[in-house]
Amino acid sequence: MEDYLPFVISGLGLGAVYALSGVGLVVLYRSSGVLNFAFGAIGAIGAYVAWSMLEADWPQGLAWCAAIVTSMLLSLAYGRLLAPRLSHRDPTIRSIATLGFALVVVGFTEWYWGEQPRRLVLPTDAGAIDFVLGEVDVRLTHTRALGLALAVLMMGGVGLLLSKTRVGLKMRALANDRDLSALLGIRVLGVDTVAWVLSGAFAGVCGLLLANIVRLQATLLTFLVIPAFAAAIIGRLHSLPATVAGGIAIGVLEALAITVPGFAAFRTATPFLIALAMIVFYRTGTRQA
Amino acid sequence: MQEVLPASLAEASRRARISLAVMVGSVLLIGLVVPWLANAYWIKTLTSSLALSIAAAGVALLYGQLGLVSLCQYALLGAGGWIALRAGHGLGWPFELSVLAGGLLSCVVGMLAGLPALRLKGLYLALVTMMMAGGFQVVINVTGFPDGGAGWLGRVFGSERLMMPRPALALSDAAYFRYVAVWLAVVLVLIELHRRTRAGRSWALIRRGEAAAVAAGVNILRYQTWAFGLAGFCAGVAGALLAGGVGQLDGRAFTAGDSVMLFALTVVGGVYHWAGALIAGLLLRAVPALLTDFGVNGYLAMIFFGLALLHALITAPSGIAGQLAGLIESVRKRLPGAGKDAAS
Amino acid sequence: MIRISDLTVAFGGVKAIDALTAELDAPVCGLIGPNGAGKTTLVNVLSGLVLPRSGTVAVDGADLLGLKPIERVRFGLRRSFQTEQVVEDLSVWDNVRALLDHVPHARGDVAAQVARALARTGLLDAATVLGHQLNLFQRRMLEIAKSLVGGPKLLLLDEPGAGLTEQEAGALRRVIGSVHAFCGAQVLLIDHDVDLIAATCTQTLVLDFGRRLALGPTREVLDDPAVRKAYLGTE
Repeated sequence: MEDYLPFVISGLGLGAVYALSGVGLVVLYRSSGVLNFAFGAIGAIGAYVAWSMLEADWPQGLAWCAAIVTSMLLSLAYGRLLAPRLSHRDPTIRSIATLGFALVVVGFTEWYWGEQPRRLVLPTDAGAIDFVLGEVDVRLTHTRALGLALAVLMMGGVGLLLSKTRVGLKMRALANDRDLSALLGIRVLGVDTVAWVLSGAFAGVCGLLLANIVRLQATLLTFLVIPAFAAAIIGRLHSLPATVAGGIAIGVLEALAITVPGFAAFRTATPFLIALAMIVFYRTGTRQA
Repeated sequence: MQEVLPASLAEASRRARISLAVMVGSVLLIGLVVPWLANAYWIKTLTSSLALSIAAAGVALLYGQLGLVSLCQYALLGAGGWIALRAGHGLGWPFELSVLAGGLLSCVVGMLAGLPALRLKGLYLALVTMMMAGGFQVVINVTGFPDGGAGWLGRVFGSERLMMPRPALALSDAAYFRYVAVWLAVVLVLIELHRRTRAGRSWALIRRGEAAAVAAGVNILRYQTWAFGLAGFCAGVAGALLAGGVGQLDGRAFTAGDSVMLFALTVVGGVYHWAGALIAGLLLRAVPALLTDFGVNGYLAMIFFGLALLHALITAPSGIAGQLAGLIESVRKRLPGAGKDAAS
Repeated sequence: MIRISDLTVAFGGVKAIDALTAELDAPVCGLIGPNGAGKTTLVNVLSGLVLPRSGTVAVDGADLLGLKPIERVRFGLRRSFQTEQVVEDLSVWDNVRALLDHVPHARGDVAAQVARALARTGLLDAATVLGHQLNLFQRRMLEIAKSLVGGPKLLLLDEPGAGLTEQEAGALRRVIGSVHAFCGAQVLLIDHDVDLIAATCTQTLVLDFGRRLALGPTREVLDDPAVRKAYLGTE
């Protein structure tokens, strides 16, 4: 059992990011009806902004803020400028359009910064927390610890926002029935803005964490968001707790897959296999997206 | 009592036959003329373009006829290419058989992908196909493509990778370009014949809505699955032809992003017209090559394609081909004699 | 001939149709009632879009509910919808032709059948016009034309006259009246236009709150005081 512990811990790091990304996707989908395929790209460009600032010796806190703000602004730009022009079309087209946005963002990022892979080294990587679980020594870099803490905070925060605040109530109303909500006097565009900005913030944080855990490369980071979709699928594009559980499970199982003989080389396919399995499992009662 | 059929019916039939002939003629003309005009590099690039046009035609079929988004067509293309390579190298099959084998496998896999689509339309289908593309990316990255070796995977280690043997009558690059053009014409005719007969009418009813389709007696599962199979067949054939053209396929070059790009550019090219598939193929291979020739960064092309997709979705749903067709139609109407047509 | 026996349809706790028993044997039958009476629900049960909780329906002796919706179309059931379901990018001809794709028909007979149906509904000259170019009257007539091919046994027309002018309603009246002579099919007609019902239907079933309020010759039913109170309004 203890042999697997390091893998589980490692998987938790990535799984937390998958969970966080999944929540960012589902919150936006529930409010606006759009599944944002550009989520990873928006996060990636934020990470690049942070990298540039760190290279120029700006303080870390500022770099993090700049990254998250960049992602929020891009998300807001799409949500207020492009999404409304498609609001009368069917849900699939509204989400597919974000693929176009993703291409633009990734294209710009790779063009401006160049496509060579980089490491996003954060000063918090230097320190670590060491503790002992059972008989195993576990080490968590400060970044990973921060990431996990942020993940918990943000997911809890969103949950509270949706259930306890007026804005959250309006977001849930929008998700339930957009037209009816408009008729009831809910300012749809205003609530939409909140959803897009919030989702952008999640994207920014996830971009930073992924760039740190894996590496900083736009196309890779955009591809890495696909497991987040797997987590969202597990949550049936609706339930935040299920999405979180799904994301963490995917991260842990993917890490554990290294120990399976013969499967290790294919382990990055784990999220997709799980998502496909869940879709088949959900077939009978799935919401029609 | 026999009713007298209006003249417009015969006229419409005649026009339909003409447009089919124009389609075949155009593709074959391209096949004939391009090798005379292009240099060796461009012949190879345009061969890949044509092969990808075949795959794009499949994507256009699913989206244009049924409104279904498939984000795994490039993966199906890779699967078809894999089978064709394995058959070509290991079993020494004649080229056409390898192509058909590739088409058949991708047809079957496409149908399997389509089965959940009945319950999970729209967005979930896009997600399912994206998951499949992601899975394929990981697998093919590890296994690579057959290149002359033995065993299940057919890889050679240590010695040189073999090129896929080409058909006897299309050994040179120019001849192979013409060969692929013929395949493209065949596939486009196959799709067009589907569109004009029972399948196309059934797809149109499904597009109208489930109630309309059921009220007309259409078995939605059967016709949707068939569309997936046909689209998969296109992908498989394209993959085999691509393998034959390039000689080898690289397991690192079949990412989920490639499937997304294929879908995006098919929409940009136009999903309701055969020329759209042709344009998509050009956008995928020829335009990036052109940009490289001019020293322009390929990623700028990506920005442009993203904008083009947004434009196509927001303002021009019929894509470049549709807008061109509309232009040609309005010019034709202004010509003298066009007013004689009873219906247009 | 439609034989409905003890049919009940419930959505949750609401009984849309409540223990309905009726025998409809006129060539053109009317089905009227206030909004929410269960008329469209009954048509949905007949065409297979809704499953009843209990009861049976027989059409020309055959157990209808035992057939899947697509099989009912093969059997000879045709229906039109309140919002017409014309396919926008198919021509008028192809819209009708599409019906023959899935029902038994004699080879070589296709063009003749489609032409006859279009001639009957006055759409033959517009055969090559695409769906999206049609006006409302043409669309309504196309819905009926679709129902006339492939050996139909029963036509379910759900408010086929909605939105039509006086003149157009007159043309519709003539077409509906001639259906039985044209192809031998029975017609069940839902509409709020009492004049249309009176002019075309010899027998009428009145529903109210999912229950049978009256069934009989149309004139008698329309004069029935209970029907007047529930539906037509007392003076």
